[in-house]
Amino acid sequence: MLLDTRIAVPRTSRVRSTTVIARITGRKAVRSGVGWGLVFALYVAAQALAYASSYSTVAARRLLVQEFGSNVGISALVGPAHQIGTVPGYTAWKCLTVLAITGAVWGILTSTRLTRGEEDAGRWELLLVGQVTRRSAAVQALAGLAAGALSLFVTTAIITVAVGRSSKVGIGSSGAIYFALAIVAGAVMFLALGALSSQLASSRRQAAGYASAFLGASYAIRMAADSSTGLGWLRWTTPLGWVEELQPLTKPNPLALVPISILIGVAGVLVVYVSGRRDLGASVFSDRSTARPHLRLMSGATGLALRLNRPTLLGWTVSIVAYGLLLGGIAKSGGKIMTSSPSIRHVFARLGVTGVEAYLGLAMLIMAMALSFVAVGQISAARKEESGGQLENLLVRPLSRVSWLTGRIVLATGLLVLGGLVVGLSTWAGAASDHADVSLSTMLEAGLNTVAPALLLLGVGVLALGLVPRAAVPVTYAAMVWSLLVELLGGLASLNHWLLDSSAFHQMAAAPSVPINWSTNAIMVSIGAVAVLIGVAAFKRRDLKGE
Amino acid sequence: MTVTAISTYALSKQFGPTKALRDLDFHVGEGEIVGCLGPNGAGKTTLIRLLLGLLIPTSGRAEIFSLDSRRQSVDAHRRLAYVAGEASLWPTLTGAETLHLLGQVQGQVDPAYRDVLIERFELDVSKRVRALSKGNRQKVVLVAALMTRADLLILDEPTSGLDPLMERAFRLCMSEARERGQSVLLSSHILSEVEALCDRIGILRAGVLVEMGTMAEMRHLSALTVDATFDGAVPDVADVAGVTMVEVHGSTLRCQVQGSVEPLLEALVHSGVRELLSREPSLEELFLAHYGASPSEGRTSNAP
Repeated sequence: MLLDTRIAVPRTSRVRSTTVIARITGRKAVRSGVGWGLVFALYVAAQALAYASSYSTVAARRLLVQEFGSNVGISALVGPAHQIGTVPGYTAWKCLTVLAITGAVWGILTSTRLTRGEEDAGRWELLLVGQVTRRSAAVQALAGLAAGALSLFVTTAIITVAVGRSSKVGIGSSGAIYFALAIVAGAVMFLALGALSSQLASSRRQAAGYASAFLGASYAIRMAADSSTGLGWLRWTTPLGWVEELQPLTKPNPLALVPISILIGVAGVLVVYVSGRRDLGASVFSDRSTARPHLRLMSGATGLALRLNRPTLLGWTVSIVAYGLLLGGIAKSGGKIMTSSPSIRHVFARLGVTGVEAYLGLAMLIMAMALSFVAVGQISAARKEESGGQLENLLVRPLSRVSWLTGRIVLATGLLVLGGLVVGLSTWAGAASDHADVSLSTMLEAGLNTVAPALLLLGVGVLALGLVPRAAVPVTYAAMVWSLLVELLGGLASLNHWLLDSSAFHQMAAAPSVPINWSTNAIMVSIGAVAVLIGVAAFKRRDLKGE
Repeated sequence: MTVTAISTYALSKQFGPTKALRDLDFHVGEGEIVGCLGPNGAGKTTLIRLLLGLLIPTSGRAEIFSLDSRRQSVDAHRRLAYVAGEASLWPTLTGAETLHLLGQVQGQVDPAYRDVLIERFELDVSKRVRALSKGNRQKVVLVAALMTRADLLILDEPTSGLDPLMERAFRLCMSEARERGQSVLLSSHILSEVEALCDRIGILRAGVLVEMGTMAEMRHLSALTVDATFDGAVPDVADVAGVTMVEVHGSTLRCQVQGSVEPLLEALVHSGVRELLSREPSLEELFLAHYGASPSEGRTSNAP
């Protein structure tokens, strides 16, 4: 509305309407960038301050270096641990990979939403009829995204510098700024790649899918590079590897900024080039306008949902299997080093688990997060069918709202359970290939264990869908991110137990390193089920809502 | 009591402070084709979405073949088919896949008629919806609804985006529906379309049914606007039968004519007319002329 009135003002219209896409994109990107900059910086602050107080003695720090300093399994998961006997070294190790991946996901979601999402919704069509060409629209969108990236960096840097000045932490200003740059490098690269895939794909979902697949591949290659000393050069072939090579706060290597800058620049140029060559709403990949009918799944709403979700689900399955094999494959060495310290070995022995199982428990946490992403994705797909108006085509026919939503929930639940079994099976297969001693049934149970938090989040999503449809997707993502942050921070920052308890991932016992807590899982699933019941009842009683 | 295809009882819908529909009593008999006219924002689409159970009424209720539109929506939907003015389909599906899916969900399709419709509307069903123009998407939605041969067709501006040839095909479908005894609720802002197809017409304005009747009863609405330019003096036509709202500007005359134009033509024929133009007034003009700027100045609803 604001936009319309501004364009209608004749005196300023020429200047303003030609930059309107840049301003709209910029406004949204900056808002998001500042918010996430705060999250990033607080995460850094929490890690640095918690380390300074938890490992205040030299002996405690030496023990930490001994346990984690050269642990292949851990370095495969979150990157190699350089100088973790110092506050800066430890902070860099704990933050860099985690925030690079979080930032990359943010970058993909933000740029595909603000470019392809806006285009899919038809809003660009209104703006492109004036003097604005497609190329200039693309340049403007990139400018808006750049503003978002800058705001992310500035917010992160300011707080990181402030935290660094604390006497307990002791990180210099230039080091802190370079560290902030390294943290947001992943976000900026994937912001650019998301914009590029938005030009190549034929919908926002597909664009996010392509970019996520690239992120998954990048993580997997980096994992391989960090799990074997002979493969270290592989780090130079992947964006997440470059971030690691920046080595902030330990052995800064600004040379890695070169490939990062080149990637961002090339992606930007390609975005502008491709945008001028394709039709609005069309794609470069797989844009066949005709197709032979495939009717196998098209007998009802749930079959349709499965059919429309197939590419996304295939992507997730491939990623989960790949991670499972990789994580399982390095379980033996990971577990061995994990139990090199006698005190820790003693703890594990008391719990009745082997080192391999302890390591795999940590790996399962990552799988639980992946499954939660699938759960939130299912909520997002259901909401999109409603807001996009497609759902009406089904509900004006003899299909009740309850049947439609129940079908969606059953489908999502089935997929998650199946996903849990795939997690267990692939991790077991990886471990078995490495001759690690872990049984199939243990791993299948551990895999199923990761489904519980995802089902809880699915329930939260359905509840939001029923009560606050327009906010359902952000609310569900927020619940997931909250669980994630609390779990990641909880280990060190000695958080209040009420706070810790609010994280679905914290509730899940990290089997097989600890025994599965079936009763907690039952409680999580029950809460999810109650949320589903309330959500479905509310959905039955409300108006269908567009965007 | 006879079964009606559509009945609403004091049906109201409020969005925040906006009253989109107020105490609507509205009926469509079996086998009847009823038009629903009104300017944008009058409440036509709100009425239809309430009938379909997509919106929940603030008060009052609606029935489809005596089935409650909320509690018995599934049974009600077995007997109706709906065409939205703006087709939102799944972009990656082809036309054939869409028709198959919607037919399966409906559970009732006349395959022979479907093929007739695809040919009549010249629809290429092998194309993905993404690659179709707005008009062609509208055809997919039309075929999907008409192929069910449902007892009741609810059509919300069904011909938006269609070219005149396809509008003719649509009118043919409507006459087939009439022959088969199907009931139709047709919402539109195209006066001529409604006039040509409907037995009765209701007029909505700001959420209130301001007029309901047959075309003959609505004769006073089907006025012509006549513009005439004269060589000499403009004659006085104010007293001619059927002529109202006379305006004179220099050598031009504008007036409204209800009923036959013959008395006016007789009055003008000896006055040296240089140019004569006549056109149907737009709905907007009609509403302003008959109901003033706000609905309270209009007539109260008189449901049958």
